Amino acid sequence: MRILVVEDDADLNRQLVTALEEAGYVVDSATDGEEGHFLGDTEPYDAVVLDLGLPTLDGLSVLENWRRDGRTMPVLILTARDRWSDKVAGIDAGADDYVAKPFHMEEVLARVRALVRRAAGHASNELTCGPIRLDLRAGKVTVDGRAIKLTSHEYRLLSYLLHHQGKVISRTELTEHLYDQDFDRDSNTVEVFVGRLRKKIGSDMIETIRGLGYRLGEADEA
Amino acid sequence: MKPEASADREDQPPLKPQRSLAGRLVLVAAVWSTIALALAGVFLVSLYQRASERAFDAQLEIHIKALISEMLETDGDQAETSVIAPSYRGDPRFSLPLSGWYWTVRKAADNEVLYASESLVGDPLNTPALGQKEEDAGFVTGPKGDEVRVLQQKVEIGDTAYTLAVAATTTDYWADIYGFARLVTLTLCIVGLGLILAIFLQVRVGLKPLAHLKSSLSAVRQGEADRIDENLPREIAPLAVELNALIVSNKEIVERARTHVGNLAHGLKTPLSVISNEARSTGGPLADKVSEQASIMSTQIQHHLERARMAAQRRVIGVACETEPVLSRLIRAMAKIYQDKGVLVDLDQQGDIRFRGESQDLEEMSGNLIDNACKWATSRVSVTVAPLVDPKTSRDMFSIIVEDDGPGLTPTERAEAIKRGRRLDETVPGTGLGLSIVADLAALYGGTLELDESEFGGLMATLKLPSLDRQ
Repeated sequence: MRILVVEDDADLNRQLVTALEEAGYVVDSATDGEEGHFLGDTEPYDAVVLDLGLPTLDGLSVLENWRRDGRTMPVLILTARDRWSDKVAGIDAGADDYVAKPFHMEEVLARVRALVRRAAGHASNELTCGPIRLDLRAGKVTVDGRAIKLTSHEYRLLSYLLHHQGKVISRTELTEHLYDQDFDRDSNTVEVFVGRLRKKIGSDMIETIRGLGYRLGEADEA
Repeated sequence: MKPEASADREDQPPLKPQRSLAGRLVLVAAVWSTIALALAGVFLVSLYQRASERAFDAQLEIHIKALISEMLETDGDQAETSVIAPSYRGDPRFSLPLSGWYWTVRKAADNEVLYASESLVGDPLNTPALGQKEEDAGFVTGPKGDEVRVLQQKVEIGDTAYTLAVAATTTDYWADIYGFARLVTLTLCIVGLGLILAIFLQVRVGLKPLAHLKSSLSAVRQGEADRIDENLPREIAPLAVELNALIVSNKEIVERARTHVGNLAHGLKTPLSVISNEARSTGGPLADKVSEQASIMSTQIQHHLERARMAAQRRVIGVACETEPVLSRLIRAMAKIYQDKGVLVDLDQQGDIRFRGESQDLEEMSGNLIDNACKWATSRVSVTVAPLVDPKTSRDMFSIIVEDDGPGLTPTERAEAIKRGRRLDETVPGTGLGLSIVADLAALYGGTLELDESEFGGLMATLKLPSLDRQ
């Protein structure tokens, strides 16, 4: 799961990035509106944490531009202007949720989790596929009720596949969503992680669709 | 004048009631016209009296001349040498006893009456002393006790000087003058009334632009117009321009204050987020203390920012907003925010209702109430908007009733939640400042917030606010 954080305060930006990374997300960050807008416009993110008070281009305009250009990723706005008029303006501009400053990091993590889950069409914080169960809040994975240990890369990969279970996910899409923008996209690390994950959760769970990519679970009828 | 306007001036001494401008103009013009017309009346009557007096004296003089000619005896070439006793009856009233018409001939030397008209029937005719004058006229009391005007003339016939006096009653003379005076008074009164009416009309027409200015200003106050109509006469057009500038500047000041408060909030809240998150991730007694203090600071900032915002909008002139779009927008936003929870929010608005105040404040008050309801509701929130009239002040108001099917609050908790201006350290965790801010904002607009138990089982919040007068 790849998240974009757009926050001009360097400390808060760092805290958000660290907390999100610790929660198992791949995080890109921007410190001004233009850079944030560019990243959101060109990279596929699963969610964006967007501050409204940004230099060069304010958050509301960034959001409006994305929505106008057809970018549909869920956006959580952070705002110090916490009057309802500000919140409603943010939601009307296309935000999916808001968190008023000052906030606790847990609050932001919970909202991001809910947004990602909701965007993939899941109602619960627990994603399941056959014997596999992933608790998004605790970040724990069990197979047939038995807890298994995953590295952060493996966790991200499983989480992405579980969010989009039944769909064929290309290697490029996985790379885009599992690594930040600086990652060398030509390497075959995805294949390596898929191999390791198969060993931990059972080799038949992740199917390789030749020439297309990977699929977790039964084929999606849609 | 609406109560909130007078409340704005409560800290100033009471003003002495001023007479209206139209009243002043009419009064001054009426007083001046009355004085001028009265003076003109007195002048006219006195002119008429003088003319009548001259005519009266001329009539008496004719009788004196006739009397003289009766006294003279012409003897050949020697004219006017001897005197005979006159029996002058030039007017039959000289023969009627005490008719008011008399004549006498006296010796000038000792004032001895030589001859007198028959009408005197032996009574004397009072005459003022002539002294050195050859001729004189004046008013005296006649033999009957009534007033007569007497004209005296000295004549010398031969070697003897005589004083001839002819008198006539003034009854007709005065009746004539009084008649004239009455006519003049009546005419001038009619002219005066006509003038006052003309002045009144002139003032009404002249001051009409002021009435227009007043209604234009009132429309701005009511929020029905953005600015005052500047299409006014040259004399008061600058006033409208200045007032418009004042309205714009007033709005700008509030807008600036709001932006300033927003910037301040942004400036303080971001570092506070950093501090508290850093402390929470670090752990230990120092971090706990920092975390606790940061939380207190955050509440303090929130509290004071809200109050600063409220203070900033106290003086805003002429703002109003439709309630329906504001509430619909809020409900749309809530549906997105609470979509996971599956809460159904329905809005029932009865007719067009306009809030007499800032849309941002309406949004803040109803946003807090609906958000609170959504937070606690199990599955349903109902928002009902209806017009009402304040029974105490007869002002047009409206109510926003927000109900939920959540757990609700106990009567004690309800009273605590909307306690106005309570101290921060008494703030009950969980309920936050939301409801108390709604109560404070509502009070600022002369409205109220009441909490009760909803028939759905949860909380029922009734917010009453002033609305624009219904047309």
